[in-house]
Amino acid sequence: MKNTADYVIIGGGISGVTVGYFLIKHGAKNVVILERDYLTAGATGRCGAGIRQQWGTELNCLTAKYSCEFFENAKEELKYDDAIDIEFHQGGYLLLISTEKELEQTKKNIALQNNLGIASRLLDKSEIKQIAPALSMDGLLAGAFHQKDGHLNPFHTTQAFAQAFKRMGGIIHTNTYVTGITTTGGRVTGVDTTQGHISTDCIINAAGGYSQQVAQMVGVELPLYSERHNILVTEPVERALNPVIMSFSLNFYCQQVPHGSFIMGRTCDNQPRDLRTTADSEFPVHMARSITKAMPSLKKLRMLRQWAGLYNMSPDKCPIYSGTPELAGFYTAAGFSGRGFMLAPATGQSMTEMILGLEPTLPWQRLGLSRFEEGGELILEPSVV
Amino acid sequence: MDKTLEKTGIPTTEQVESAFPPQERLDEGAVAIIECFQRIPCNPCATSCPRGAIVPFEDINDTPVIKNENCNGCTLCITKCPGLAIMVVDTTWKDPAGLDRALIKLPYEFRPLPAVGDEVIATDRAGAFVTKAEVVQVLLNHAMNKVPIVTIAVEKSLMRTVRGIHLDARQRAVVCRCNDLDEADIAAYIAGGATSIDELKRVTRLGMGPCQGRNCVPIVQGMLARTLGVPVAELSPGTYRPTVKSIALGDLAEYDSARDELGDGEK
Ligand SMILES: Cc1cc2nc3c(=O)[nH]c(=O)nc-3n(C[C@H](O)[C@H](O)[C@H](O)COP(=O)(O)OP(=O)(O)OC[C@H]3O[C@@H](n4cnc5c(N)ncnc54)[C@H](O)[C@@H]3O)c2cc1C
Ligand code: SF4
Ligand code: SF4
Repeated sequence: MKNTADYVIIGGGISGVTVGYFLIKHGAKNVVILERDYLTAGATGRCGAGIRQQWGTELNCLTAKYSCEFFENAKEELKYDDAIDIEFHQGGYLLLISTEKELEQTKKNIALQNNLGIASRLLDKSEIKQIAPALSMDGLLAGAFHQKDGHLNPFHTTQAFAQAFKRMGGIIHTNTYVTGITTTGGRVTGVDTTQGHISTDCIINAAGGYSQQVAQMVGVELPLYSERHNILVTEPVERALNPVIMSFSLNFYCQQVPHGSFIMGRTCDNQPRDLRTTADSEFPVHMARSITKAMPSLKKLRMLRQWAGLYNMSPDKCPIYSGTPELAGFYTAAGFSGRGFMLAPATGQSMTEMILGLEPTLPWQRLGLSRFEEGGELILEPSVV
Repeated sequence: MDKTLEKTGIPTTEQVESAFPPQERLDEGAVAIIECFQRIPCNPCATSCPRGAIVPFEDINDTPVIKNENCNGCTLCITKCPGLAIMVVDTTWKDPAGLDRALIKLPYEFRPLPAVGDEVIATDRAGAFVTKAEVVQVLLNHAMNKVPIVTIAVEKSLMRTVRGIHLDARQRAVVCRCNDLDEADIAAYIAGGATSIDELKRVTRLGMGPCQGRNCVPIVQGMLARTLGVPVAELSPGTYRPTVKSIALGDLAEYDSARDELGDGEK
């Protein structure tokens, strides 16, 4: 292992590989990614990899749109080989609306989205029926739909970035655990790892659910916590559902991936916040109940497996893209609050702009740590799960 | 005692011989050949035969004993045996080609299925090439427990050697049947730097199908151990997740009412 680097990224999830790729794309050299297990071992390898642009704040809408457009052109941009298929299925996101309050909020969101060039629209029941014939209409008032939303294959998408990153000279060390960070006089000087020390004056913390642990190595307390989220997969069947369906009030999301499996999750009560990713035995029962109510034809479909991963939650449920005032050279890309996959291209681009001092594409400086200080402006997103 | 079967999964010539009926019985017509040599808790063959040709088990671990005189080679038991341990052989077939061939009716659970008239590769019990064979019949209907039966014609002299077919001239060795991955696919990922089951799982879906890794994981652990030069015991076993067996969402949704009715299993 080479013992110096210009930039060291901690974490080989989707955030780590996108930050690495964009850094090199914008001219950085000697970029190293350190991953304690293997690529996608964290939340990235456990997520639904859904991407939607239907948000309720301007910055979140535009950030998601930026990422979606990147994914649409990923093959030309990343030039990954044919063994990789990022499986971007743009079957849309169909948000189910079952309360008056949701309807009110959705109307506002759609007006905002349309203004920003996101062609979402309100659907009545008959339009919902056309888009997702298997859905039960019981208790539904309306739906919100945007065709360009969808989902990807998180493993292959990560591989696609990793491949481009390596081709352009980036280095990835897997099975390499960062155990400490060295500093002098208010700036970082290197990382200690299970494979030796690397000196560097720039470290990017992209450790997902473990980002607080990494920050604690330099005495920084990030205002984050990690919470377990459960998800399950069924046997593969012929396509029966095109959009991702999602409901805030009924509390679920569900999609059918190109391989044929249904993947679904919901937010459960009383989930541990101690980095555990063991399975919750109550979850499949509650999940099965809500999904068979929404789509009765799924009753016969067999669940194969459940698992869990960490949501890394921030106070306003928006990511942290930030430097650290008290420690030069220490950057954070974390706190994705359950949507770090869809934001990944923006994560890579914005962190790169910040680190290399480039003109920001979008006002991403608003996502800095200073927003949590007194007088700071939080980004209050009404449409998170 | 000869441990070949335990070690390799392949029966010895003597064991195969013992599963075949005497020549006089073969001369009378189709008959089931049951190659089930180990005591395991399994009995669908015995309960499925409509002619009482498989002696009822006293203990579920019994190995099947066939009364050849009762068997008419109907093939029903083939589709019931989860171990695919049963085939039917017919040496009295009138070979339209005028050759000296017997019919072998084999359970065949791969896709695609061959078509009648196809030439396929007939393999021995170790999966090695024996001869080319003609497909004479392909059967699959709703009564067949999802087990298709492929009938091939092979020279009578090879009747005791042939026990399988291959459709693919590439002779690919399928490792993960759920997701159709062969040894070469997996070997390429290992050569590319993968060092654990969990890692392979994420890129290839290995072990993520209905069998949840029961078939492929031991094979791939062996491949990893050989390539990395590390004993299997030192490799990460991979993460196993619930449920143990696949379960319909509708049944899960009714879990609470079932629990009220049946109790939760605690005495
Ligand atoms: C069940 C579930 C469903 C989700 N669904 C979606 C969705 O539909 N859409 C969406 O956009 N997002 C979704 N998410 C969120 C998304 O998965 C995450 O926000 C995203 O994957 C975060 O990526 P990351 O690279 O920042 O973190 P991770 O993928 O967690 O990567 C961090 C990496 O850092 C490594 N690491 C940690 N500590 C160290 C150390 N000390 N040294 C070296 N390496 C270290 C870890 O091993 C890990 O691989 C979901 C999450 C879960 C759990
Ligand atoms: S082939 Fe038919 S008759 Fe013979 S043992 Fe099997 S089920 Fe019984
Ligand atoms: S069903 Fe098959 S595996 Fe089971 S006892 Fe009978 S022959 Fe053996």
